[in-house]
Amino acid sequence: MTPSPASPVRSARLEERRRRWRDPTLALRLALVAAFAMVPLVPSFQAMDLALKIALFATLVASYDVVIGYTGIVSFGHAMFFGFGAYAVALALGRFGAPDYGHLALGFAAGILVSAAVAVAIGTFSLRVKALFFAMITLAFAEFALILAVQWSQVTGGEDGLSPTLPGVFAVTYAGRVLGVAVTGRLVTYYAVLAACVALFLVMRRFVQSPLGRTLQAIRDNELRAEALGFRTFVFQILASSFGSVVASVLGGCYALWVRYVNPESTLGIPIMLDVLLMVIIGGIGTLYGGIIGAAFLLTARTLLPDLRGLGAALFPGSEIFQRLADRWLLYFGVLFILVVFFFPKGVLGTVRERLARRGAPGEV
Amino acid sequence: MSRRAPLLVTLVAFLLPLLWIEPRTYLTLTVAGLAMGMLIFLVASGLTLIFGLMDVLNFAHGALFSWGAYAGFTAAVLLNQRWGWAAAPSVAANVSLLVIALAAAAAVTVGLGILVERVIVRPVYGQHLFQILITLGATIVLEELIRIVWGPNDQVVPVPATFQGSWDIADIVVLKIPVLAIVLGAAVYAGMLGLLNRTRVGLIVRAGVENNEMVQVMGHNIYRYFTGVFAAGSALAGAGGLMWALFSQSVRPAMGGEQLIFAFIVVIIGGLGSVTGSLVGALLVGLSYNYVAFLVPKAAIGVTMGLMVLILLFRPAGLYGAAR
Repeated sequence: MTPSPASPVRSARLEERRRRWRDPTLALRLALVAAFAMVPLVPSFQAMDLALKIALFATLVASYDVVIGYTGIVSFGHAMFFGFGAYAVALALGRFGAPDYGHLALGFAAGILVSAAVAVAIGTFSLRVKALFFAMITLAFAEFALILAVQWSQVTGGEDGLSPTLPGVFAVTYAGRVLGVAVTGRLVTYYAVLAACVALFLVMRRFVQSPLGRTLQAIRDNELRAEALGFRTFVFQILASSFGSVVASVLGGCYALWVRYVNPESTLGIPIMLDVLLMVIIGGIGTLYGGIIGAAFLLTARTLLPDLRGLGAALFPGSEIFQRLADRWLLYFGVLFILVVFFFPKGVLGTVRERLARRGAPGEV
Repeated sequence: MSRRAPLLVTLVAFLLPLLWIEPRTYLTLTVAGLAMGMLIFLVASGLTLIFGLMDVLNFAHGALFSWGAYAGFTAAVLLNQRWGWAAAPSVAANVSLLVIALAAAAAVTVGLGILVERVIVRPVYGQHLFQILITLGATIVLEELIRIVWGPNDQVVPVPATFQGSWDIADIVVLKIPVLAIVLGAAVYAGMLGLLNRTRVGLIVRAGVENNEMVQVMGHNIYRYFTGVFAAGSALAGAGGLMWALFSQSVRPAMGGEQLIFAFIVVIIGGLGSVTGSLVGALLVGLSYNYVAFLVPKAAIGVTMGLMVLILLFRPAGLYGAAR
C-alpha cells in the first residue's frame, strides 16, 4: 500500500512543525523571557512592579486576542472574568482563617469554574443569533458584575475591596535562601506569576495553532462558509470565548497575588476593559504577541504620566485650561484609540508581519 | 407565537405586582416606570433604527445622550439667569424655556451626530469590529470633552416651576415631569410610525432596513439617508438626555454610559431594527425596574438582566426581531 499523498492541510502543518525550531524569532522570544527574569536584579520596586504588570497584561491581552482576533467576536466582559479570578483568590485567602496553599488552589479553581460557567451561559444565549449580540450582552453583564461587587459589600468588601494575606513562600514576611541567595516573598511571587504567564502564553499559542484554532480562524474569516462545511460555528465560538475567559480568570488570580489588593475599580471595571482593548489594537489584533507591545507602551506611558504632568505644570504655571486638559488623560487615550483604528488598524506587530510577508521572508513573531 | 402574544404576556406580567403592592403605590410606580421606559425608548429607538438601516452598532449614542442633556441644561441655565424663565410662575415662560432647551439639545446632538457619522463611522462601514472600536473611542472623547467644558461634577438642573411638584388625583401622587416624559415619548413613537409608514422617506428607510443594496440600485443615495437617520437618532438621544436631566434634576458626564446599557438591553429585548420592539422592550424594562426597586431595592438592576436572559431564551432574536 502506497502512502496517500498529504492533503494541503497536512502538508501545511508538517511544514509549520519543521519550521518551529528554525524560526528566527524563537531567539527573540527566549530573550524576552530572559529579560523579564532579569528585572529583579534592578534594585527598584517600581521597575519590578511595572515589568510584572506588563507581563500580566500582555498575557491578558493575548487571551483577549484569542476571542477578538482569532474568533472574531467582540466581548466587553473580559475584564469581568479577570475580576472573577482576582476576587475568587482574594476571597479564598481571606475568608477561611489563616491562609494556606489549599486555599490558594481553591481560589484559582473557583475562579476558573465560575468563569467557565458564566462564559458558557452568556455564550449560549447571546451567540445563537448574531455574534454582535455578544458585545452588547457582555457589556451589560460586566456592568452588572461591577454593581454586584460594589453593593454586595458583606462578601466583596464593596468599594474598599479586599486585601488578602498570602500563605507560605508568597507571604510578605517570608525570607529564605535559595542556593545561598536571600529570597523574599515578593521575589518568589514575581517568579511564580511570571512562570504562570509564560505557561499560559504557551498554552494559548498551542490553542490557536491547533486544528481547533484553525477552525476558529475559518469561522472568523467567513462564518457562512464554515457553517456550510459542517462546523457548528456556535459551539466553536462558545469554546473559544470560554477558553479566553478561563485564562483571564487565572491571570486575575495572579494579579491578586502580586498586588495583594482587589477592588471593583482595579479589577472589574470598564476602564480595565478599555485598557485591554487599546493594548490589543496597538499591538495588533490577531497576532497573540502584539499584547506585549501594547501593554508595554500603555503601562509605561501611564507610569511616566505624573512626571509629564509635573513638567507641564512647570511650563505653563497657573493655566487652568491646561490643568484641566492635563487631568483628562482619558481624552488623549480616546483620540489615540480612534487614530490607531483609522491609520494603523493592523497594529504594530500586524504591520511588521505584513512587511515581512511582503518581502517573502517566512518570519512569524 | 403570534405577533400579539408578547403584548399580552407583558400586560399580564404587569398586573402581577398588584398582589404585593397596594393599588395607589402601584399606580405611582407605574407612572414612574412608564416615564423611565419612554426615556429609554427615546435612546433605544435611535439606536435600533441606526442598527437596522446601517448595520452599525453605535456606542457613541450614550455620549450623544449626555451632550443633549448638557446642551439643554446650559440653555435652561442661561435663560433662567437672563430672564428667570424657570423660576417665574408664568406657564408661557416655563414652556418656552422647555421648548428652547429641547431645541438646543436636539440641535447640538444633530450637529455632533452628523460629525460622528461622516468623520468616524463612514470610513469603517461594513466592518463590525472597527465600528465598535471607533465609536467606543468617540464615546471616550465626547465624554471627556464634557468634563473639560462643564467640569467633572454633578450639576443641578433648573426645572421650570410649572413642571415641578405633582398632581394629586384621588389620593394618587402623579409627578409632573414623568407625565411630560410619557407624553413626549408617545408623541415621538407616533411621529416615528407616521414618518416610517406614511411618507416616501420612511418607505425608503424601511426598504433600506430590508435590503440597502437594492435601494441603491433603484437610484437612491443611501448614504444621504444614513446621515439623516443617524442625525435623527442622535437628536432623539439628545432629547432623551435632556428629559432624563429634568427627571433626575441633575446632569453628570457619565449619565449617557449608564443609559446606553439600558438601551442595549432594550434593543436586544425588542429585536434589532424594530421601533415597536424597542417601545415594548423599554416599557418592560422601565416598569419591571420600578416595581422591583420598590419591592426588593437591591435586585433592581438584576431583574433587567433577568428579563433579557429570559426573553432571549425563548426568542433569540428578541420580541419583534427578524432573525437575520
